[in-house]
Formats: sequence, C-alpha cells, structure tokens
Amino acid sequence: MKQYIVRRIGYSFLSLFLLSLTIFLFVRLTGDPASLLVEPGASEADMQAIRVQFGLDQPLWVQYWHFIASFVSGDLGQSFYYRTPVLDLYFQRLPNSLILAATAMTFSLLIGIPSGILAAVRVGKFWDNAGKVFALMGLSLPSFWVGLVLILFFSVYLGWLPSSGSGTIWHLLMPAFALGWYFAAAHMRLTRSSMLEVLGSEYVKLARLKGLPEAMVIGKHAFKNALIPVITLAGINLVVMINVAVVVETVFAWPGIGRLLYEGITFRDFPIVQGVVVIGGAMIVMVNLFVDILYALIDPRIRLES
Amino acid sequence: MFPHTTRRGVLGLAAASVLGSEARSAAAADSHITIASHVSLAPTWFDPAETAGIITPFLLMYAMHDAIAKAMPGNQMAPCLAESWTTTPDGLAYDFVLRPDVKFHNGETMTADDVKFSFERYRGASHDVMKERVAAVEITDKLRVRFRLKAPWPDFMTFYAAASGAGWIVPKKYVEQVGEDAFKKAPVGAGPYKFVSFTPGVELVLEAFEGYWRKAPSVKRLSFRVIPDESTRLAALQRGEVDMALSIRGELADEVTRTPGLSLKPTVGSAPYWIYFPEQWDPKSPWHDVRVRQAVNLAIDRETMNEALTLGHSHLTGSVFPENFDFYWQPPAPVHDPARAMQLLKEAGLGGGFDAGDYHCDSAYSNMAEVALNNLREVGIRVQLRPLERAAFFKAYAERKLKNLIQGASGAFGNAATRAEAFVVKGGTYVYGNYPDIDTLFAQQAREMDRAKRTDLLHRLQQAVHEKTIYAPIWQLSFISAVGPRVEQSGLGLIKGFVYPAPYEELTLKTRT
Repeated sequence: MKQYIVRRIGYSFLSLFLLSLTIFLFVRLTGDPASLLVEPGASEADMQAIRVQFGLDQPLWVQYWHFIASFVSGDLGQSFYYRTPVLDLYFQRLPNSLILAATAMTFSLLIGIPSGILAAVRVGKFWDNAGKVFALMGLSLPSFWVGLVLILFFSVYLGWLPSSGSGTIWHLLMPAFALGWYFAAAHMRLTRSSMLEVLGSEYVKLARLKGLPEAMVIGKHAFKNALIPVITLAGINLVVMINVAVVVETVFAWPGIGRLLYEGITFRDFPIVQGVVVIGGAMIVMVNLFVDILYALIDPRIRLES
Repeated sequence: MFPHTTRRGVLGLAAASVLGSEARSAAAADSHITIASHVSLAPTWFDPAETAGIITPFLLMYAMHDAIAKAMPGNQMAPCLAESWTTTPDGLAYDFVLRPDVKFHNGETMTADDVKFSFERYRGASHDVMKERVAAVEITDKLRVRFRLKAPWPDFMTFYAAASGAGWIVPKKYVEQVGEDAFKKAPVGAGPYKFVSFTPGVELVLEAFEGYWRKAPSVKRLSFRVIPDESTRLAALQRGEVDMALSIRGELADEVTRTPGLSLKPTVGSAPYWIYFPEQWDPKSPWHDVRVRQAVNLAIDRETMNEALTLGHSHLTGSVFPENFDFYWQPPAPVHDPARAMQLLKEAGLGGGFDAGDYHCDSAYSNMAEVALNNLREVGIRVQLRPLERAAFFKAYAERKLKNLIQGASGAFGNAATRAEAFVVKGGTYVYGNYPDIDTLFAQQAREMDRAKRTDLLHRLQQAVHEKTIYAPIWQLSFISAVGPRVEQSGLGLIKGFVYPAPYEELTLKTRT
C-alpha cells in the first residue's frame, strides 16, 4: 500500500512537471508580449526595455527555472498587465469562482442525477428520450449562446435579472445555469449508463427476487452503487468549473478565474496564464490522487493489482 | 422555446419593452455615471509616466490627471496646467507659466518642481526621442519652468503635450513618499476625478474632485465597469445598469438606434485606414505603375463599406493623415469608379485583370478587408485574404515581411510630420520604400521654425503622397458608443479626434422632473 501511494504521488509530480513545462512553452509560442505592451510602431529599444523588465530577455531555461523556483516558494510572479502579483489576483477572483462553481454544480447534480435515474428506470420510454434530448442540447449548445439568450430573455426582455457583474444572488443565477447546464447533461448521461449497468447486476436481481419494493431497490441498492463514478466525475468537473469557466465568465462579466485566464491570454500575460493553468492542473492532480488512494483503501484488488 | 432565435431577433423582441426603465435607472445612485468599458483597465494607465502614444490610456488620464496643455473642445492644444508658453526666437527654449493654486487630489499645490519631476520620470513610448532632444529642464521660479532644447525642434509641443504622457503632471512629493508601485495602486493627480478603488479586470471607481481648477464636476461619482462582451454591454445599457457603453458595432449599433431612450454616439478618431502598396518601388511589380495603384483607389466602394460596417459614421478620406492633425492638407474626396479603374488597368497592360497575390490585414478588421477584396475582384484584381492576429500583423508590417497589399492603420497621436515620419519617409517604421522629393520636403520642414513655411512644406508633402498614390486611403474609422437615457452630456465627441468621453468635468445628468 505504501509503495502504491508513493508511486501515485510520484506520477502526480511528474504530471505537474510536464504540465508546467507544456504551458510555459505553449504561451511563449503565442508571440512576444512586449509587442502588446507598447503601441504599434514603438522602437526596438522600447520593446527591449519591456523584455528586460519582465525577464523575457533571459534564456528559456533560466525563465523556466525562475518560474518553477518561484512557484515552489508560493510566488506565481507579477502580472505584466495589472502589475500585481498573480497570486493576489487569483485569490481576489477565487471566491467568485467558488460561488459560481458550487451553484452550477448543485444545479447540475440536482438536474442531472434525478433525470439520469429516471431515464435508466424508464429506459426506451418517454423520460429516457426526453433525457437524451436534454443531454444532447446541454452538450451541443455553446455556452456563450446559452448565456446571451439568457441575458436577452431574463434581463433585457423580462427585466428580472441583472445582465452582468456580481454581488447579489440575482447576479449568480444566469451564469450558474449557463455553466451548469453542460455539466448537468454530462452527469445525466453518466448516471443513466451507470444505473443501467447496476440495474442489470446480480445483486439487484436478488433484491427484486426477495420482494423488496422497487423504490428501495433503486434508491438503496442500485443508486448508491451507481453514484460512485458520478461523484468522481463531479469532483473533477468542480475543479474545471472553478478554473476554466472562461466563456461563461466573459459573457456575464463575472469576475472569476476563467475571466482572469481570458485576460491573461488576451494580453499575453504569461504569469497569469501559467499561474492559473498550473494551479488548476495541481487541483485536478490532487483530486485524482485523493480518489486513487481512496479507491485503493476501499478496494484491495486495486492495490494488489498495482 | 426559441425555434428561430437570433441575437438580432431577440433584441428586436426586447426593444419595445426595455426603456420604460427610467424607474430602474432611478434606482442608481444620484449623480453617478457608470461607463461600461470594452477593455480591461490597466494600472499603467493610472500613471502618466508609462503612457504609450496610443489613445486608450487617455480614457483614464482625462479623468484622474491633467496636463500642461491638452486637446480640449475647440482647441487641440489648450492651455491647462500652464496658463501660457512662449518659444525663444532661436527655437531653443520653451518657457511655461504655470497656473497658480492648482491642487492635487491630496491637497498639495502644483509647482514647477512637479513639472520637472513628471518630465524626468516619464518613461513611456516617446521617452527616447524626448530625452535625446531636451537638454535640460530649468525651474525659473515656483510657477515658471524652461525646457532647453539641444536644437530647434518644431514638434516639441506635439510630443510634450499631445503624443505622450510627459506633460501630464503628478505630485513629486507624493510619488517619492509612496514609491512607484504604490502610486499605481493609489494614484494622485490634478484631474477632475480622484481615485477611490480599483478591482483589476472588474471596476474602477472615481469621485469628483471639488478642488479641480477648471470647475467642480457635476457628476459626483464615476465608475468604469469592464464588460468584455459587446452584446452584454448593450444589455446592461438597455437595463439601465450602466449609463454609457463604449464600442458598440455593426448590427448592435443598429439596434441602439431602434431602442427608445438610447442614443448612438459615433466619434471619429485619429485612425485612418488604408491599403499600402509595398512593392511600388520594384519595377518588375505591377504595383510600380501608378495607374494600377490608382485603379485600386477607384475600385474601393467606401460608401457601401461605411454603411454596412459603421452605419455611415466613418469619414471617407483620401489621406492617410488624420483630418484633425496639425498641418493637415485636404485632398480631393475619394471616388468610386470601377469603369475608370478597369480602363486604367487596360492602359497599364492588365486589361484582363491579374492575380495580385495576398491582401494582409489585422484580423480584427478583416470585415473591411472582405469588402475591399470583393471590390478589387469586380475590376479584375484578384487577391487572397491573409488576416493575422494584431500583434503578429504589426510586427510583420514593421519588419517589412509583407508583400502585395497591406491594409494598415494608425491611431498614434502626433501631427502630419510625425505621421509622415512613421509611414512615408525613408527609415520610417512602416516604410518599405521612399521617394527622394518627399524625403527632401520632410527634412526641410523638420528644420523650419516659421509655421507658415512649415505648413506649406507639409502640405506639399501630403499632396505628393496623394499624387503618387503611395496609399489607397479608405476612411477614418468611427468608434461607436451608446448612451443611456439618464445622461445629458456624455462628453463623447466634444474633443475632435478623441473617441472617449472627455473632458469629464463636462459630463452632466438630466434633471428629473
């Protein structure tokens, strides 16, 4: 078991190292940020002064070393555009992203799980077909379009909700719906397939043979077992919602981390892009590590196989 | 629910019901204007020392700071913190008399010390050229300061007071006391509004400065809210959440005109757009023949382009020099004559048309390029569109890597001479070739201190640019903003060539009945 955990932690560090290297190199492929920080036609001397100021004149490996050394010591560098430490910007935006992600996740689970169970229990019938349409729309309609339609209908036409910004629960509703709908569809699909698999298992058949009421068979025996992969996916999706709700946050001018990432990309603000991506990656790696260890604790076959 | 929903359709549905929203607007605090900004505000824009020679930072500079002289309604170089200035007969010194009793937001009084300090601290885009040419800044007394030049420089005021942040004054004592970084976090200036709070990427809040020397602003609080998406900005304006929305284009601008209570405020900035012929100096190129370049000029249907893309608000122009620039020469109005264009091509031996290669442009303006491409095809000039991301485009343009046709633009401040220096004469940043007669005119005007003679030289220079068809100018782009029903004076369009609301002390709200 100890060896298994050590190995998983090793893989996690390797993943983070590769992620940091990839994002470090990829943002630099987008071009020279100095060209966006001066006006068109600025002299080469002006551009060079900007490069020196932000350490972009250093060899790549030196820049990477500074990035990693700072990251390990809890410093993500200073934003080129906002001239503020990236960590400060990140923590300024984090509460907004947490609130949005938590609301969107609650919405997605409240819609996705019951509709997934209903579709599995009534497979091939109306509710199943309705669920499939719901999932198809949720997964295929672009969130910016959903967001704009919500704004136009609920904000401009009906005048019920504020169009953008943050601060009250009313500001939260539309972005949470726009963000949560996609994930609700994903959760619905997974719940449905997981429930179908469990409902066909021997122990569920046995429960029915024993004459247990259908509600107890579904609610107690099937649902609990079908829920495990859904919760795992929801955990990872929550991290994704927190860190990369770029489109929804931009459309609704929601001041979260997704919009910070959008701003970082727009202004070629390398420290912001690197910081947000690496923190997001670290969160996903940690969730995965936690789940892997938990699985191994629960299921001895996993640690023995490994 | 929305079987055929389109953005336009839903907006249309919404329009009728929206602007009985006076009641909602009234919920907004009295004497408070919120401006929805299209760009994320940068703290470097709070500090005149770091201002690049582009227009965007001046959105905030006009609010928080003030300058020795700046563009104001009816005067492109209006005395502000300086009451007056004079030039010595030899052109080697400029003497400024400062306005007495001008207060900074922290209560300090502005003196010549602050003027000297602000100039020496300046490190923005024109830093090199100014430091190269200014020998010294001397404080004559508390309210008098002299700038000594190394050689006569007729464009000194253009650079000092218009094209840079060097003439925008910050309090020396405060900056030295708090340091450079802290100054950007809590800037203090001498402008009509003082800093209250800034949340990066979200909002900037300012408060009226009652001690502003020109007059106390009537609107007591000013907020800039960043709303990156254009449709959301318009929705916020329609709901009365904001009072002005900057940059509303195309069909959304059209929607503003159909929404009761909202008004469209198009402002033409100092940004002409053009088609450049980088191969005109190559005798083997078809662009070497002036008739082929003239054919391009005649082929572009500017009026249709203007109606389609900017609702007819852009100014069609025959010049790459902005019409609000000092020393501007008015060329003949551009003409759309495809028949004449085809005739010119025939005379040039290209009667059947020709494959003209690539048409390069900044991808943000590829909508203009698509119209131009169709116009060129109609007369037989076949080109392929090559849009590039903005930074990459300007980099390639400046490094002279682009061929065939380039759709360029510039919004840089300055005057006709500074524009010629960058785009026409030998060695200019965006110049792919040169004409000796034009270079000679440019050199002569650079030494000429007599304004009338200099004007004549620069007019001749611009006329030569026009006659040689170095460029096929398209238009001076209109920047379209929208204003809500509470605002009486938005400030938009008050200063010629300035596309943002200014001067802010002129902003007023309608009085409620």
